[in-house]
Amino acid sequence: MIAAPASTLPGKRAGIAHWLRSYTAMLRWQLTDMRLLLPLTVMVQLLSGVGLVLGFGLLIDDVSERVALFLSTGAVVVTLVVVGVIMGPQLIAQQKSAGSYDFMWSLPVPRSSASAAWVTLNVFIAVPAMFGALFAAIWRYGVSFEPSLMIVPAVGLTLVTGTLLGYALAHGIPRPDITQLISQLLIFVIFGFAPISYPIENLPGWLAEVNRYLPFYPMANAVRDSLTEGLVTDVGRSYVVLAVWATLSIGIVGIVLRRRK
Amino acid sequence: MTKTYDGEVFANDAITIEVEPGEVYGLLGPNGAGKTTFVKQVIGLLKPTSGSIRVGPYDLVEDPDVARQLCSYLPQAQMPIQSFKMHEAVHITGLIRGGPSDAVRERGDALIEALDLTEWRDTLGHKLSGGVRRLVGFIMTTVWPGKVVILDEPTNDVDPRRRRLLWEQIRLLGSGGAAVFLVTHNVLEAEKAVDRLAIINEGRLIAQGTPSSLKSDDRGRLRLQLMLRPGNGIPELPALVHHHARVGNNLMMVIDEAAAGAGIAWAQQMMEAEIAEEYALGATTLEDVYIRLTGHTSQGDS
Repeated sequence: MIAAPASTLPGKRAGIAHWLRSYTAMLRWQLTDMRLLLPLTVMVQLLSGVGLVLGFGLLIDDVSERVALFLSTGAVVVTLVVVGVIMGPQLIAQQKSAGSYDFMWSLPVPRSSASAAWVTLNVFIAVPAMFGALFAAIWRYGVSFEPSLMIVPAVGLTLVTGTLLGYALAHGIPRPDITQLISQLLIFVIFGFAPISYPIENLPGWLAEVNRYLPFYPMANAVRDSLTEGLVTDVGRSYVVLAVWATLSIGIVGIVLRRRK
Repeated sequence: MTKTYDGEVFANDAITIEVEPGEVYGLLGPNGAGKTTFVKQVIGLLKPTSGSIRVGPYDLVEDPDVARQLCSYLPQAQMPIQSFKMHEAVHITGLIRGGPSDAVRERGDALIEALDLTEWRDTLGHKLSGGVRRLVGFIMTTVWPGKVVILDEPTNDVDPRRRRLLWEQIRLLGSGGAAVFLVTHNVLEAEKAVDRLAIINEGRLIAQGTPSSLKSDDRGRLRLQLMLRPGNGIPELPALVHHHARVGNNLMMVIDEAAAGAGIAWAQQMMEAEIAEEYALGATTLEDVYIRLTGHTSQGDS
């Protein structure tokens, strides 16, 4: 006979210890959940980062150092964003279709700890791809990067914002197929109309102005600044806009996850 | 508790239920009756349009965080454990539920053994059969149970032998002091396993009580079952039939014990007239009450 654990009505669990415990357990769950897919996902992201860098070289005959730096740092940002905005919503949409979403959502952990575990998982997937893109650029174009410590906040803010916006999208929209459509649309916007892989000056004035307030250009500007010397300007403003977007995305996730139908 | 959609459709219409610690409480009703909607409000996945849910001093509607800590929930859908070995799925969920690692492992392994699943302890979820996965879901839900355990159709896909083992564990959860909500459409199983039950139909609570109190109207009565020949409608019923329901070619009637002889004689006439192929007379069960109240059998639509 197995007795269930003793049962007087417990107090509500809260506080930092409960949060950390929940975070660790949720991260462990997510890593195990991805165990069959994780090596493959990391590999695919890595290859797409490398592919972006090498592909541009096929498009342009004579890649100058400045262009090479632009393209390879752009590839880094695209990789970081794609993981959060595309892969995340797809995984969550899959959970919704399979019906396992309710179980995950009934677990007794703070919503913020589950979200933090999710961001961490995205870091595991995105960071190898980032290094892949950088090494491909060094190997192919012979460029040299000058990384500064600012790479930590630049990549951190980029990942948090991208991942949480994708996360809010996936949780906030009830129908998984619509979520998938919107994330496809975002990819189109990111590749076509956000100055990630090219200078913002190349865009028509109004589109450039819009992009200064959207998160993608500031992500690219901050990451580029942290990896190179003297390639970009206006970095302080990028950090401000990016910090606002990061805060906003945390807020949106908070609202979306607290909402009950 | 009331839950409406678009202000019109009553998924739950003023349902009030009180469950004691240690009690196994059945929620019965046809598909779409509002049982799952009800339990999703308890766990905080849905918000009631009006009403309240209390466990001890806590208001679960106001505080969904505490609702998730106090309740464990086995949803109707399968658990997402394709990439997990059975014992990992159980252990990690126990940790997530706040149990200490060693205690969780010990109880998890004990439950795996009690449900006779040891041979698959190290098997990945995607290689497990539907019934076994269902049982793993039960263990994940109850390895470190809350004060309220909600089980939505826990016996789906489970083989008859392990079903019995599962019922044993559900009873033990009650003895451990948890209040167990059991959502099911299998009336006969529920009759043996629950302390009390509610029958929900079209969003409304239509009956509530112990299985025997619900059957009290049928005390001193018997069930007369007639297997109609295919193509026959319901024959004209004699006055001794209190109520009846037809499922497929199966005609179920409730008659007085004293009328048993007359009932058998009538059934034999039906067979001679080639309207029926077979008949049976037996004790009334909760199923008869359920049919009378909902107009459905628990196996499907009538």
